[in-house]
Amino acid sequence: MFRSIASQTLVRSSFRTYANGVPALRSIRPQNISPRSIRLFHQSFINYHGHIHKPKPGEELHVTFITKDGKQHEFEVAEGDNILDIAQAYNLDMEGACGGSCACSTCHVIIDPEFYDEIPEPDDDENDMLDLAFGLTETSRLGCQIVMTKELDGIRVALPAMTRNLQSKDFN
Amino acid sequence: MPPIKLAIIGAGPSSFYVASRLLASLPPSSPHHSALRIHMYDRLWAPHGLVRYGVAPDHPEVKNCTHKFDDAASDLRLQFFGNVNIITTPPIAPVPGSVMLPLKSLISHYTHLLLSSGCTLPTLHPALPPSDDCVSALSLVHWYTQHPSVVHKPPPPLEKYKHVSIIGQGNVSLDVARMLLTPPSTLEKYDVPESVLEVLRRSSIKHVSILGRRGPLQAAFTTKELREMMNLEDSSMVPIDHTHLAIPEGTKLTRQQSRTMQLLQKGSKNKPGLDFQDLVVGLLRSPTGLAPPLSSLASPSLPYTLSLAHNELSPEMRAIPTGETSTLRTSMVVTALGHQAEPTIPWYDPSLRHVRAVGSRVVNETGHTMKNVYASGWAAMGARGVLVSTMIDAYGVADTMLADSFPEQFYKEGDALRSATDGGSLGDLSEVMAKEADLDSVPEEVLDAKATGNVTDYNDWRMIDQEEVRRGEKLGKERERMNWEDAKAFLGRMGGSL
Ligand SMILES: Cc1cc2nc3c(=O)[nH]c(=O)nc-3n(C[C@H](O)[C@H](O)[C@H](O)COP(=O)(O)OP(=O)(O)OC[C@H]3O[C@@H](n4cnc5c(N)ncnc54)[C@H](O)[C@@H]3O)c2cc1C
Ligand code: FES
Repeated sequence: MFRSIASQTLVRSSFRTYANGVPALRSIRPQNISPRSIRLFHQSFINYHGHIHKPKPGEELHVTFITKDGKQHEFEVAEGDNILDIAQAYNLDMEGACGGSCACSTCHVIIDPEFYDEIPEPDDDENDMLDLAFGLTETSRLGCQIVMTKELDGIRVALPAMTRNLQSKDFN
Repeated sequence: MPPIKLAIIGAGPSSFYVASRLLASLPPSSPHHSALRIHMYDRLWAPHGLVRYGVAPDHPEVKNCTHKFDDAASDLRLQFFGNVNIITTPPIAPVPGSVMLPLKSLISHYTHLLLSSGCTLPTLHPALPPSDDCVSALSLVHWYTQHPSVVHKPPPPLEKYKHVSIIGQGNVSLDVARMLLTPPSTLEKYDVPESVLEVLRRSSIKHVSILGRRGPLQAAFTTKELREMMNLEDSSMVPIDHTHLAIPEGTKLTRQQSRTMQLLQKGSKNKPGLDFQDLVVGLLRSPTGLAPPLSSLASPSLPYTLSLAHNELSPEMRAIPTGETSTLRTSMVVTALGHQAEPTIPWYDPSLRHVRAVGSRVVNETGHTMKNVYASGWAAMGARGVLVSTMIDAYGVADTMLADSFPEQFYKEGDALRSATDGGSLGDLSEVMAKEADLDSVPEEVLDAKATGNVTDYNDWRMIDQEEVRRGEKLGKERERMNWEDAKAFLGRMGGSL
């Protein structure tokens, strides 16, 4: 992880909605340890049922995901595919509850600050959803809204922990 | 290790997220793969809780989360039983058509129990007792989603109403306001039943006031919902009094608060004064009473007088009455003041108004942790949080359950109830669940009811779901909903799958 996780107030904000503003009895703290171990995936695991494309030879772009257990996964991807679709095609543990429609914030990712400014600014809809993201940071974005372009070649993206911690001891 | 044979009360999103996490955490490669069975019971015939019977029709994307629920249900270790109402005492308002299953009969078949029954009762306002023209927002939500409990109730007479007062500053109040102010020609492409559209087309509503007792910084709505209000095509917002938008000195706004303030200051896309329906956002107002209609009134469309006390905020951000009052003429009052769990659910805590749970585990009134009994979602946290927080909570509950059941394999850090060392004990435990259970047994009452065709399974739901979408396509909309009578008839026609 290249940046630690957000302040409690921002986390709380997702609990304020649909209610009268009282914080939840059970507090859920963002932490950055894996909920369960994730194996390293190879190109062969790819699930092209997702909506991603095969990059044209010579036009491959690179993206590295850092999963909650700190492991890095680098993939060669095509221009135009978005981060959520890529993660799901490679079976990484990224949620996309609203199917990439910018209506749920479950695809929240943390961008390497080096690349953050290369991504076009979030629009109102994305900002509205980021308000509710769990463990928001200064370089948080929604995976479904980040489309790969040449400027983003080499981008590094961390998946925030979605729960308190569960560690798997011995099986994978 | 003994297996997990889990009964879940409720088949809303929280239930499905817990189930899907459990199933995914014990994949075929796990030694415990076949040691898991999940039976999900819902008193409604259709699954998905508030995603089907809550989320506003003009938020179709939100309902995409059901794809994940469908995936979970395709795992043979998960079974859904619709139309089964788990009861502790005879229910006050039984859901028509559903089978009553006493909790006692249920738990004798299961080693584990999850309470995921949500918060299904509206919180009422002491000064505004329900009447024909003073209703909870939930009852309107139930009407426009055709919840099974409203099937034989008359629709709201919107043709009679000119001004609606909505009390409460959360997303549900904005959902209701949007449904009342959005042109039916826009709504008709969504999942809005034809019978509901008909009533909306007859509506005479011209003015909606949303009243809240505190200021904009305390409002519970999200910026997304507020933005939608500001962009309504045929409505405009009456600008908010600047003094109400002043930010007290030294206040540090959260990201969401500053964006809410910007939106309120900017105002609606349509400027007021033209021939729009109008929306008033009344801050720092508490209703104190609703005077009954007077037949001698000159304006029969605004028969009620709503009295309001004006508030200011104390340094602790509480609403304190200033002593000033005012009145508002209105045709209908809708209270949107949140929701609470039903007092008849097991391990209900009257002071919390939901299940008593600590760190995912249910605790009895003497403070003892109930062995293998868990709670998740709104039943455990109270009615707060959008789907993302419901999901995160559910994953935490599933993880706790795994760590408790298979401690040699899963370990949960920072678990408040366990002692710091790995595998620490939970202290005094009370036991109610079966020590052993036949992995595939189901209470007899459920089997009997299933034989008569009154209990639905997930395949029934998949067929209904497809058929609703097909009927919707014919009408040029997302789906046309069925009620239980329609569904029964349809399933019967399909060759007696019940
Ligand atoms: C009107 C409304 C609109 C919303 N809109 C959005 C939105 O647009 N976006 C968003 O992210 N979130 C929205 N939410 C919040 C979201 O719906 C909740 O976060 C979520 O539904 C909570 O899930 P749950 O499973 O805990 O409860 P529920 O969804 O309420 O599910 C509980 C289930 O338990 C069943 N049940 C209850 N008692 C029994 C019993 N005794 N026996 C058997 N079954 C029982 C109920 O029938 C129900 O199906 C909305 C909430 C409301 C009220
Ligand atoms: S998938 Fe829902 S916001 Fe990205």
